[in-house]
Amino acid sequence: MDAVLSQYIDPYFLRIILIIGINIILALGLNLITGVTGQLSMGHAGFMSLGAYTSAILTMNYGVAFPTALLGGSLVAALFGFFIGLPTLRLQGDYLAMVTIGFAEIIRVFFLNFEPGGKAVGLSGIPQETTFLTVWGLVAVAVFLNARLLSSRTGRAFYAIREDEIAAESCGVNTTRLKVTAFVLGSFLGGLGGGLYAHYMFYIDPQVFNFTKSIELLNMVVLGGMGSIPGTILGAVLLTILPELLRVVAEYRLMFYGALLVILMIFRPNGLLGDVRIYDLKKRWGLGKNK
Amino acid sequence: MKMRVNRKTAILLCLVLALSLVATGCAAKKDASEVDKAADTNVIKLGFLGATTGEVACYGRPAEKGMKMAIDELNAQGGILGKKVEGIYEDNKGDNAEIANIAQKYVTRDKVVAMVGDPCTGLTKVAAKIAQTNKIVLFSGGATGTGVVDLGDYIFRNTLVDKNAVPAVVNWMVNKQGWKNVAIITSMNNGYSTALTPVFQEALTANKAKIIAEDTINDGETDFSAQITKLKKVKPDVLVFTGYYKEAALIMKEAQKQGLDLKMIGGDGLYGEDLMKLGGTAVEQKVMYYAGFTSDGASAETAKFIQDYKALYNEEPDMFSAQYYDAVMILAQAMESTKSTDPSVFKGYLATLKDYPGVSGKTTIGADREPIKNPVCLLTVKDGNFRSLMELIPVTVK
Amino acid sequence: MFWQQLLNGITLGSSYALIALGYTMVYGIVQLINFAHGEIYMFGAFAGLFLVTVVGLPIGWALLGAMAFCMLLGVVVERVAYRPLRGKSSRLSALISAIGVSIFLSTLMVIIAGTNPRNYPDIIKISNYQLGAVQFSSLQIIILIISAILMIGLELMVRRSRIGKAMRACSQDIEAAALMGINVNRVISFTFAVGSALAAAGGVMVAIYYNALWPYMGTMAGMKAFCAAVLGGIGSIPGAMVGGISLGIMEIMGVAYLSSSYKDAIAFAILILVLIIRPQGLLGQKIVKKV
Repeated sequence: MDAVLSQYIDPYFLRIILIIGINIILALGLNLITGVTGQLSMGHAGFMSLGAYTSAILTMNYGVAFPTALLGGSLVAALFGFFIGLPTLRLQGDYLAMVTIGFAEIIRVFFLNFEPGGKAVGLSGIPQETTFLTVWGLVAVAVFLNARLLSSRTGRAFYAIREDEIAAESCGVNTTRLKVTAFVLGSFLGGLGGGLYAHYMFYIDPQVFNFTKSIELLNMVVLGGMGSIPGTILGAVLLTILPELLRVVAEYRLMFYGALLVILMIFRPNGLLGDVRIYDLKKRWGLGKNK
Repeated sequence: MKMRVNRKTAILLCLVLALSLVATGCAAKKDASEVDKAADTNVIKLGFLGATTGEVACYGRPAEKGMKMAIDELNAQGGILGKKVEGIYEDNKGDNAEIANIAQKYVTRDKVVAMVGDPCTGLTKVAAKIAQTNKIVLFSGGATGTGVVDLGDYIFRNTLVDKNAVPAVVNWMVNKQGWKNVAIITSMNNGYSTALTPVFQEALTANKAKIIAEDTINDGETDFSAQITKLKKVKPDVLVFTGYYKEAALIMKEAQKQGLDLKMIGGDGLYGEDLMKLGGTAVEQKVMYYAGFTSDGASAETAKFIQDYKALYNEEPDMFSAQYYDAVMILAQAMESTKSTDPSVFKGYLATLKDYPGVSGKTTIGADREPIKNPVCLLTVKDGNFRSLMELIPVTVK
Repeated sequence: MFWQQLLNGITLGSSYALIALGYTMVYGIVQLINFAHGEIYMFGAFAGLFLVTVVGLPIGWALLGAMAFCMLLGVVVERVAYRPLRGKSSRLSALISAIGVSIFLSTLMVIIAGTNPRNYPDIIKISNYQLGAVQFSSLQIIILIISAILMIGLELMVRRSRIGKAMRACSQDIEAAALMGINVNRVISFTFAVGSALAAAGGVMVAIYYNALWPYMGTMAGMKAFCAAVLGGIGSIPGAMVGGISLGIMEIMGVAYLSSSYKDAIAFAILILVLIIRPQGLLGQKIVKKV
């Protein structure tokens, strides 16, 4: 399939479109935790690395089939998401952010000392199983399930927690359970993205999943729009394409990222498409047709 | 109310996005056709792999200069097979995803015949995979770690491979110098270091040296007081440090501070002007490393290269500039000899390269496609400069 | 060896303490983790280097100059990136803005100075002393004395002076303080200025003592210092000192008697444990969640 596609589209573009897909999955996961539920997580790369390493080790050392390994990686990430979600019962905002950073750092240091993961050298020769169709198929599924979730009762409760936790609790929302749920689901997607990444790049090492990677993912959610699925997709697309376009001014790219965050927070704290739902877009397009 | 504003913006943005995507698509198509045209003309393209920004830029920048110089010289002599040589230089920032994108771009958009680089083993492996899949030659002028050329028959390198150099160095230090009590420090977040440590351990055991202390650090740390205090207790004859020059300088500085007389030996990761800048008197005649290149080397080719390089860039060339220079020249010779710019043809010449007299020493590509470089230069710091201490015969490990 | 390691730990810890003070002061007043604080520390180190090598000032004046420069930088950062957000947006936005500033500043320094590490010329004549089994240098003593002077000075200022009183008032209740006629903006600016000056002093001294400075030095140091501040009890000035020094000792002892591979993980593991078991830290006051 990929070979057929590459006859029509330049493989370079194919590659970038595929990476956009992986980033969308990762960012959707983070969006659930940070954008929708308002629990600032700055260690999403940690979940990504768990998914990447677990699935890579499963396929390489144990000969597990790719889909099973992918699922295994996502489940391990989700398990850790559960453990990281637990402290949220006691911590809020900034403290939680620090815990997530700390968690991602500990995971990174763990993999630096992890013999089966090749330590700092990393793993290479991971079978290249991730194809264009797998990624975009999974993106479609993830977007669909995300949209269903967010328009459900649970989804609204997530938003309620973000807006005012105490008010939500007093309205009968089980904040404890839901916050942990958000973490589990978000980290599951993080692990999934990590597994796809590992089986596409064919090479991973612990430094890939560093603090900068977490911030890059956070940027996608924040830029696109906190709590919005179209926004998150937009953020992932923009922040994957922009670096390619900005390659000429590479030195200034990170500076631009930094400035972008500050400017966005001042002028559009909810991002470009803050809280816009797929439903809103559909309605708007529907109206357009009627005219 | 707020929602409505957002919706408008949303639609606008989606439109902009869709438009920009279409626009890039169109631009791409145009570019692609341009590339096709370019492929017909008489230009041979070589892609540079290396970081010119970021934390490993200190390896990539001189490498880029060496490659540019080689290409300019080739063009001044009329190019390869009468065709002009063009280098394409993208900065991969030492990032895995970045180098993968760049390698893919070189292959499909720029249509290079070969890629030169990367200085780092891990990054080279990422690009090598893409080069091999697309049947493009990758010639690394820096990756010294294991498992690089195993990736395929289009992958080559001309560096002093650690597993050939280390036994020679260890033999010298244990049997010639009598340094039998050895301490090893590894930098845990440095893939080069974690891969080099076992090579040293094996060679030390083979030479019956005693490893009396093993410790770890991380790249980016500055406080090594605890490690040095520990070393002070065991007083090793020599410290094997497998990491990079920056941490090496700071470890030596800390040893000096704590009054521990320490000698350090390591791989070409210790090479870097900053070793002397940061280490000062603490590294003087105390730090030694092995490499395939020394700027006070004797060969006529090397002397001329150094002179030209200095004239062009007003600085001393280093190992990476020399090895990238050689890599380009070897590729040129391969294309000239086989009268072909087809990677699948000229790779055959590379695989049988014998005693190529490069500016970074003599290179032979062995049967396992691993390079054998001669000699192994052991260098030390003298009067704030790297000076050749002695030349050793490399050991070929089968 | 134990006593030598203890001294190593105290020296490392006092650098954490100086940075931690800035975090704790800012957090005490505006409840913001000033992520850019580590970068201000880095700028301080570079400003000092500039004054010593380019301008040719003696080191004492360069230290004061770097402190003055960072005071200004701290105030500017607060003005540009934090003040526009105050009161209007969530704390999440402010935190993200702080991350943006941090990325911006470190990349800016990369562009100005490059990524290669630098060091101060050998300006201070170092002599070593022996006391029993412990060896220490004149530099260590100077650093410990300067740190002590700065910390005691700060404590006196907060306890005794008028502006210190205003700072304490703001940290208790910023709105009530405003109602009492305290110029809150001025107090906040002042807090940033003092915190940044201390960070600059820390930066210059660390760069001299450990003989290296580079643009990314602030990120990890900043995070560790934040862990130290939390350990001591965020918002508490003596807590930051105690937290910084104990974190330094713990890290060094970890390397000395356990394994150095996990050094970076130690600080974060302590952070997570402290936050879960005793969120108010060693010397902090328990904060009751208010509606």
